[in-house]
Amino acid sequence: MTAASDPAFGLGLLVALLAACAAVVAARAALRWRIGRAARVDRGTGVDWMAGLLAVPRRYLVDVHHVVARDPHAARMHALAAGGLLAGSTLALLGLVPPLGASRLFWITTALAFLLALVGGAMVARRRYPRRPARLSGGTFQRLPLLLVAYGGGALLVALAATLGDPLAPLGWLGLAMAAIGGFGLVRQLAGGPMRHAFAGALHLAAHPRPGRFEGERATALMPADLEAPRLGVATPADFAWNQLLGFDACIQCGRCEVACPAFAAGQPLNPKRLIQDLAGAFKSGPPAYAGSPYPNARPVAGIGGPDLPIVGAGALIHPDTIWSCTTCRACVEECPMMIEHVDAIVDLRRFQTMELAAVPAGAIPTLSESRYAEEPGGRPLSARTDFAAGLPLPLIADKGSCDVLLWLGAGAYELRHGRTLRALVELLRRASIDYAVLGAEERDCGDLARRLGDEATFADLARANIATLSRYAFRRILTADPHALHVLRNEYPAFGGHYELIHHSAFLDELTAEGRLNLVAMPDGRLTYHDPCYLGRYNGETEAPRRLLDRLGLERVEMERHGKRAMCCGGGGGAPVSDIAGDRRIPDIRMAQARATGAATVAVACPQCAAMLEGVTGDVAQVRDLAELVLAAVEAAPASQGAGR
Amino acid sequence: MKALVLLSDARHPVSGRPAPAATELQAVALAHTLADEVNGLHAGPDAEAARGALGHGLTRLEHRQLTAGDDPLPSLVAAIGTAPPDLVLAGPRAGAGAQTGLLPYCLAEALGWPIVADAVSLAVADGVLEVIQALPKGARRRWRMRLPAVITVHPAAPAAASFALGVARKGQVVETPGLPARIEGPPVAERPYRPRPRLIASAAAGAGAAERLKAATQATGPGGQVMVAPPPEAAARAILDHLRAIGVLKPAERG
Ligand code: SF4
Ligand code: SF4
Repeated sequence: MTAASDPAFGLGLLVALLAACAAVVAARAALRWRIGRAARVDRGTGVDWMAGLLAVPRRYLVDVHHVVARDPHAARMHALAAGGLLAGSTLALLGLVPPLGASRLFWITTALAFLLALVGGAMVARRRYPRRPARLSGGTFQRLPLLLVAYGGGALLVALAATLGDPLAPLGWLGLAMAAIGGFGLVRQLAGGPMRHAFAGALHLAAHPRPGRFEGERATALMPADLEAPRLGVATPADFAWNQLLGFDACIQCGRCEVACPAFAAGQPLNPKRLIQDLAGAFKSGPPAYAGSPYPNARPVAGIGGPDLPIVGAGALIHPDTIWSCTTCRACVEECPMMIEHVDAIVDLRRFQTMELAAVPAGAIPTLSESRYAEEPGGRPLSARTDFAAGLPLPLIADKGSCDVLLWLGAGAYELRHGRTLRALVELLRRASIDYAVLGAEERDCGDLARRLGDEATFADLARANIATLSRYAFRRILTADPHALHVLRNEYPAFGGHYELIHHSAFLDELTAEGRLNLVAMPDGRLTYHDPCYLGRYNGETEAPRRLLDRLGLERVEMERHGKRAMCCGGGGGAPVSDIAGDRRIPDIRMAQARATGAATVAVACPQCAAMLEGVTGDVAQVRDLAELVLAAVEAAPASQGAGR
Repeated sequence: MKALVLLSDARHPVSGRPAPAATELQAVALAHTLADEVNGLHAGPDAEAARGALGHGLTRLEHRQLTAGDDPLPSLVAAIGTAPPDLVLAGPRAGAGAQTGLLPYCLAEALGWPIVADAVSLAVADGVLEVIQALPKGARRRWRMRLPAVITVHPAAPAAASFALGVARKGQVVETPGLPARIEGPPVAERPYRPRPRLIASAAAGAGAAERLKAATQATGPGGQVMVAPPPEAAARAILDHLRAIGVLKPAERG
C-alpha cells in the first residue's frame, strides 16, 4: 500500500481541507462585523491586536477557565473535547510529513489525542441525552455531540489503523469516512452554529472591550456615550462597535447567564442568553433558529431585523420591556464563560430609547425629569438630604474647608429606612473621633439612576457639577454607605476628570474595628446571613470586608447558596424599581426566600436599595439590618469606659 | 393642524433652577396627539427655561426678545398674528418664575378666540375641537368648539415626554425682537408665599353664643365627620351615607 492511498494520509488531507474550509467560513463570518462602528475599548484606545492576540492563550487558560471551572463537569468536558480535537487534528496534519507518517509511536500519540476528543464528545452527549437541561439550547446544538463523536471516533479509527497496520485498513477507511462526515458537519456549524464560538470566542478574547478584566481589574464602569455622535446610543446593529458584534457571535448558548438572571427568575420578559442571540442574529440575513428558553412572558414582536433596521420595538426584534427589565446586576457577565458584556449592550440600547426616542417606561419619566431639573431623582430639596441627622453633629465641609473623611450621603438619605443606617454610621464616626464632614445642600445626585436608565446627558451634567463642587474642598477620602454612589464616584467619574479615593462603610468600619478605634462586644444574636450588593461585590470586588466585619460581631454567619460575586440581585438596581416591568414574582421575594432558606433570622445588608427592596418583602421574612446598625448595637453593648476616643 | 404652545420663564418648584413648567410640557405632549410638529412661543428676556422644552418634543421655539419688565402680550399677539395656528396651548396658572396665570385669558381676549381651561384630552374632527375639561373631585366635562381656540392644560393630562438630548439637538430656536410694551395697570408687588387664612363662616345674626363659637372655630370646607374607633357597622353606614350624599351611590331605597 502506498502512503498516498492509506487512510492516515487521507486524514491529513482531510484535516487540511477542513482547515481551509473553516478559514473561508470564518473569514466570511468575520466580514459581517465590519458593519459595526469603530472598536470600543474602555481604555479609550483602539484594539491592541498585538497584545490581545498574544494574550489569548493566557486569557483563555486563566480567565475563561476560571469561569468554566465553576461547573467542573463542563470544564472537563470542554478540555477533553476541545483539547483532543485540536491536538489530534494538528497531529494528523503533521502526519502528512513522511518520517512522522511512518512512525508507529506518532500514530499512537495521535490516537490518544482523538481518544480524548471522543471521550469529550461522549460527555457532551451524556449531558444532552436523553434529557437536555433547560438552560441548554436544542436544534443544531443537539447535533453537536454526534458530529464530535463522528469526527473524534472516526479519526481515532484511522489512527489505530495506522498504528496496527494492514489488518485494520478497512476500519481505517470507515474511520476516514466518519471523520469526513463529522468534520464537515462541524465546519458547517462554524458560520451560525455552535462551533462559531470557537473562532469568535478566541478573537473576542483578543479584541475584548474591557481588557482590564484579564488583568485583575473589575473593569465595570460604563463607557461614556459620545454625546456629539449623530445618533445617540444604539438603534441598529450597525450602531454597535464591531468588537461588540464579535462578542455576540462568541456566545455558546450555555445558558449560565439565564440561570443567574434575576429578571428571568422573576418571570420578567428578559433572558440574557436569548437577548445575545437576538443581537447576534440581528445583523445576519436568515439567522439560525433559536432553540433555547424564550423570554419569560414574552411580549409579541414582529421579529424583523437587519443590519440597518431598528433592534428594539414591537415592530422589531426585541420588545422594549426586555431591555427595561434588567437590573444591571452583572450576574450574567460574571457567569459568562465567553466574557460577553451584556450590560454594556443593554445600556447602549437604552441610551437610544431614552436620548433619541424619549421612550422610557412611564414610571421612569419623573425620575429622569427630577434628576435633570432638581438634580435629585426624587425631586426633593438638596438641603433636606441632611434632615435624617436631626440632633446629630453633621458638620458641613463648606464651614470646615477640609476634612479627613467626606461622607457622601446619596439618595437613600431621604428615606426613613436608610436614614436609620446613616444615623448609626454618623454615631460610629463620632465615637471613633473621625474628622468627617458632608457636602450638605451642595451634594447633588451622583447620577447613577439617570445613567443606567440611558440618560447619559443628565448623568454627564450631574457628574460635572459634582466634580466641580468636590474640587473646591480638601479631603482625603470619600466614605459612603451607598454602593451605587461608590461605584459611580470611584469608577465612572474618572472619565469625567474626577479622581477620588472611595471607601464603602463596610470596609471603613472593618478598618476602624481592626485598629481598635471602635470597641465592640461580640453579641451572639442568632443566625445571620449577608446579602452582597451587586454594586459592591460584583462591581467593586468587595466581598471580604463586610464578612470580616460581621465575624467581629461574633454572630453565627451562614452563607446563602448564591453569595459573594455570584450573589443574586435584590431587584433594586438599574432603575428596575421605577421601570417596574411586570413579571410572575418579585425579585426581592426570591432573594428573601433564599435568605430564609439558610435559617437566618437576620439578613445583613450594605446598600440602601437592598434594604428597601428586602424590607418590602412580606410574609416569612428575616429582619433586615444594615452593617452600620449591627456594629453600632455591638459598640453600644460594650462598656462605655472602653469606648475609644470619646 | 398647527398647534402652538406658550412657554413661560419657569423655575423648578423645588430647586428653583430654570426648567420648563410641567404643565407646559404636558401641553406639548397633548399637542403631539393632534399634530406632528409642535411649535413653541416665548416672549421675554430669557428663553433658557423655555428652551428646555425642545428636549421634550417641541419642534421649534420662537423667542420674541423683550427687556425685563415688558408686557409679553403684544409680542405674543403679533407672533400669532403673522401665522395663526389652529390651537394655542398654555399652562393653567402661575408656578415658580415670572408668570401670572392670567396671560392665556388676556391672549384669548386680544385674539377674540374662545378659551377652555384645564384640558386633559383633545381631539379634532372636521375643524371641531373636542376638549375634555378637568373639574374638581375628578369630574370631567366635554366641550365642542370651532377652531381656533386657546386651551390651558390641567396637571391631570397625560404625562409629558421625558427629556431626550437627541430630540433637543434637533429643535430649532428662532430669535426675533419683540414689541416693547410697558405693563399697564398697577405695578406688581412680590411677596413671599404665605398660606391663606381659612375662610371662617359667620353665624347668622341672632344665633346663640354656642353657634357663633362653632361657626368661628369650624372651617367650612369639604366637611365630614371624624369617628374614633367606631364599630364596623357604624363606620360602613357612615361611608355609605356619605357616598349617597355626594351622589356616587343611588339614594337608599325606602322600604
Ligand atoms: S451569553 Fe455567555 S453565559 Fe449566556 S449563553 Fe451565551 S455564552 Fe453562555
Ligand atoms: S445584568 Fe442582571 S438583570 Fe440584567 S440581564 Fe444580566 S443577569 Fe439579568
